[in-house]
Amino acid sequence: MPDRMPDRDAPGVQQRLAELIDDFGEADVRERQQMLLDFARRELPLPERLRADRDAAADRAEHRIDECMTPVFLWVEVNDGRVEIYADVSPEGPTARGFVALLIDAFTGATPAEVLAAPADLIQQLRLPEALGMNRMRGLHAIYHRVRRQVGELAR
Amino acid sequence: MTAASKPGDVLVTTAWVDEHRHDPNLRIVESDEDVLLYDVGHIEGAVKIDWHTDLQDSVVRDYIGRRAFEELCNSKGIANDTTVVFYGDKSNWWACYAFWVFKLYGHANCLVMDGGRKRWELDGRPWAKGPEPPYPPTKYQAKEPDLSIRAFRDEVLEHQAAQKPLIDVRSPGEFTGQMLHMPDYPQEGALRGGHIPGAVNIPWSRAVRDDGTFKSPQELEQLYCGEARLRRDSETIVAYCRIGERSSHTWFALKYLLSFDHVKNYDGSWTEWGNLVGVPIAKGP
Repeated sequence: MPDRMPDRDAPGVQQRLAELIDDFGEADVRERQQMLLDFARRELPLPERLRADRDAAADRAEHRIDECMTPVFLWVEVNDGRVEIYADVSPEGPTARGFVALLIDAFTGATPAEVLAAPADLIQQLRLPEALGMNRMRGLHAIYHRVRRQVGELAR
Repeated sequence: MTAASKPGDVLVTTAWVDEHRHDPNLRIVESDEDVLLYDVGHIEGAVKIDWHTDLQDSVVRDYIGRRAFEELCNSKGIANDTTVVFYGDKSNWWACYAFWVFKLYGHANCLVMDGGRKRWELDGRPWAKGPEPPYPPTKYQAKEPDLSIRAFRDEVLEHQAAQKPLIDVRSPGEFTGQMLHMPDYPQEGALRGGHIPGAVNIPWSRAVRDDGTFKSPQELEQLYCGEARLRRDSETIVAYCRIGERSSHTWFALKYLLSFDHVKNYDGSWTEWGNLVGVPIAKGP
């Protein structure tokens, strides 16, 4: 399977995030949970070249988000100036899986600058703490900050 | 272990649950770490009770009060004489937590489906989708909280000072105090790392096998009585973790699988102790 090469120039990341924030903000708690479940049902494509990483113990540790209760593996790349995010998350962890799929949807094809310009409190702006419970935010914060930190490092 | 083969057995197999799930006096309750997991698929007829949004007070750091617990049971069709079978993800970690809250309010007949979601899946049993099934409302009457299974801060301070047994069920990194928070990442736990002096460290997950089921009574005996040197004749044993969830799993194993009579869960756990001013803390193994 060829690597997915997204080529989304429009709408921009800011606009896409603004739409998501609007959609989640207008929804009630139950609807917000359903929206995250819809994201969780999406395929998370993992290119062939990354599968060996996923299966090797040392690489697993490097790509795993320790704060998540469910195993979550993330690969963040910047290729030709565009951000690509790949992930492996069990369907038994729909909260983390849904959030990762949402970030992939929002950030794939963006420039590093666009990702770094996204709101630091995106999770709050999406009103996820109310929908999922405050105690469940630890893993999601870790995912979001890992993505942004790696994008920042790769852009240097 | 055969399911509920003798009085007092609280661990039932997936086969037993599959066979009995239409019993009118039985209610199956799914409790997961992941709040969305019930929607992905659940045992047909099961209701969902969320440890966070259902069982905890949304303002005060505490469990829901007696009245709210009664209303929760009423809304799930659970009466005082209903047998409640708990199961969930992560080796029944949260199922044991819900079990503990039900015991706190004196619910008599509580069971745990051994292996939880994972074992059900491995056995190839079906998952139902769709919304939670409605049941006729009940008129539940909860008892006063049973504080023989719940430890509070001041009690744990005295317990520690008297060098009584404590079991810390967090990971070794949390126990030694070496866990560092990530860069750019808010530290949400405690201001200090380490453990309550005198505690032994047996991570909760050592009580379970890869398929999510509990280890045999002999293996558990070796783990808790051999390695951890806990004694059944101790006046009280206090179990704790970060917020009291993992320790409810160990509490369950000690009390119901190994017949320890006097075990308490300290639900304040490290997020309370590690933030208290002036309390003793030990670091290292």
